[in-house]
Amino acid sequence: MSIEIRNITKDFGSFQALKNISLDVPSGELVALLGPSGCGKTTLLRIIAGLETPDSGNILFHGSNATERDVREREVGFVFQHYALFRHMSVFENVAFGLRVRPKATRPSDAEISKRVHKLLELVQLDWLADRYPPQLSGGQRQRIALARALAVEPKVLLLDEPFGALDAKVRKDLRRWLRRLHDELHITSVFVTHDQEEALEVADRIVVMNHGQVEQIGSPQEVYDAPASPFVYQFLGNVNLFHSRVNEGRAQIGGIELQLDAHQETKDSPAFAYVRPHDIEVLKEADGEHAFEATVNYIHAIGPLVRLELQRADNPELIEAELTRERFRELSLTEGQSVFIRPRNVRVFLNQVA
Amino acid sequence: MAKHKNVLPGFNLSLGYTLLYLSLIVLIPLSAAFLKTTELSLAEFWQVVTAPRVVASYKLTFGASLIGAVLNAIFGLLTAWVLTRYTFPGKKLVDALVDLPFALPTAVAGIALTAVYASNGWIGSILEPHGIKVAFTPLGVVVALTFIGLPFVVRTVQPVLEDLEAETEEAAASLGANRWQTFSRVILPALWPALLTGFALAFARAIGEYGSVIFIAGNMPMVSEITPLIIITKLEQYDYAGATAVAVVMLVISFILLFAINGLQWWSNHRISASR
Repeated sequence: MSIEIRNITKDFGSFQALKNISLDVPSGELVALLGPSGCGKTTLLRIIAGLETPDSGNILFHGSNATERDVREREVGFVFQHYALFRHMSVFENVAFGLRVRPKATRPSDAEISKRVHKLLELVQLDWLADRYPPQLSGGQRQRIALARALAVEPKVLLLDEPFGALDAKVRKDLRRWLRRLHDELHITSVFVTHDQEEALEVADRIVVMNHGQVEQIGSPQEVYDAPASPFVYQFLGNVNLFHSRVNEGRAQIGGIELQLDAHQETKDSPAFAYVRPHDIEVLKEADGEHAFEATVNYIHAIGPLVRLELQRADNPELIEAELTRERFRELSLTEGQSVFIRPRNVRVFLNQVA
Repeated sequence: MAKHKNVLPGFNLSLGYTLLYLSLIVLIPLSAAFLKTTELSLAEFWQVVTAPRVVASYKLTFGASLIGAVLNAIFGLLTAWVLTRYTFPGKKLVDALVDLPFALPTAVAGIALTAVYASNGWIGSILEPHGIKVAFTPLGVVVALTFIGLPFVVRTVQPVLEDLEAETEEAAASLGANRWQTFSRVILPALWPALLTGFALAFARAIGEYGSVIFIAGNMPMVSEITPLIIITKLEQYDYAGATAVAVVMLVISFILLFAINGLQWWSNHRISASR
């Protein structure tokens, strides 16, 4: 079932949590709402679920207006960050809850409930925990039970609020791969909220990047990572170096070098920010024409597959972060304090409209 | 007995202290009551404790205490709910008012309740034309016992209610549970142990209550005379053995009831943390 979000606005007192949000979630997709805390992503998720009411705007499920529909009638499965399992019920009863509270007419028989619960527990690979109680489970197990419980009511939409936020790094990684596989199996329209860009990039079909109650960019993980639509998206998704720059008729000045841009042909001498990912910083031992500027190696961090360098520009006190492969690092045989030349590639320039 | 290594030292010392303390404060005075009754022969004892007037007083004391405790369990839960779930002006004041029955001398409470519920009092004068007499009837006893037991349920349930995650209720709603199902299947089971404790405390307190009741009860034999008053009356007539005999019966019944409530509580706790 597709979800359409139309001009949703929500204030909490004087705080504007959501500013006129419109968004489409196509049927069967796994969409991530990504943003820093306080950006309104959880509020939006709760409005989709019906746990919160918008001040204005509409939520459409498969074309029909669900804005006034109660949570109970929305047929959504909601998974909470802190699991929200019923502590006094066994795992089995937790999962069975949604079926047991149905009106008599639509309630399955006990045998049917038992069959369905065990099937779900098998799906989340925790059938052997059916008789345990939530306090006896680990965080990862609890969240999988919470997911099974949400799926028990056969929701049309699955909503997950920072589902892996309370788990430790290793479990988080396992679970998000598992969620991806589960989604590929079930194809249920899903929206999950996260502040972890890695998680969003790895799991989602599409990412909605939010900031200050607004949508900054919508796109596939590839799109938002490779072609960020705004400085915010650039900074939020991965590490980035920022250079103060001036743009004039399609040419950008950064440090001592000048770059030809595809865009900004009409711009006349305006301040701008240039963004370069650390792995797009080329480190050279010798100056290569005009396209490199001088810097000093401050620190070398050589753990893992990539070697991270902290570089100090020669012409101003700004620091630059660069990532090299180990091979390249060995070729250069760099030491701390050494003078090098750096050449940025794939530079993206955003005009500085505020200043 | 296997020797256990405890993480916390001082088990022997603290257990010894606990036993000594309980003995000095509870067990020795109570066993003195049992001892005193042995002055009576079994037949005399039986005659004293089964006298019609005394039996009627048991019924009133335990019956009214039970009704009072049940009322407190229901309305104490409601009060705790209101105090934790909603914000309203004067909430702190209401919160403080709940403890008043603890602090007030019971005689003051009794006099105040009598003044209000007597046929010429504020509330009594409204109820009287409808044929409801409160003061000087068993109903008055219930009112007094409800009054003094109020804080117990509120104060035991309140912290548990505060700790209850709002998310579990939202989870229940998203799974299709209506408000009543959410309350009965999710909230109430979580509150049950605390509610039971509060109920037991209010009940126990009501059984032993004297001061506030005797003013409003009217103390008519066979109708509105509570067991503690019978004991006092016997004491005033220097019938010490008779007084302790009645006291012993009361003690035993109270103990059995509280023990049963504890068992119920253990059972409901055990269900939650079962299968370890």
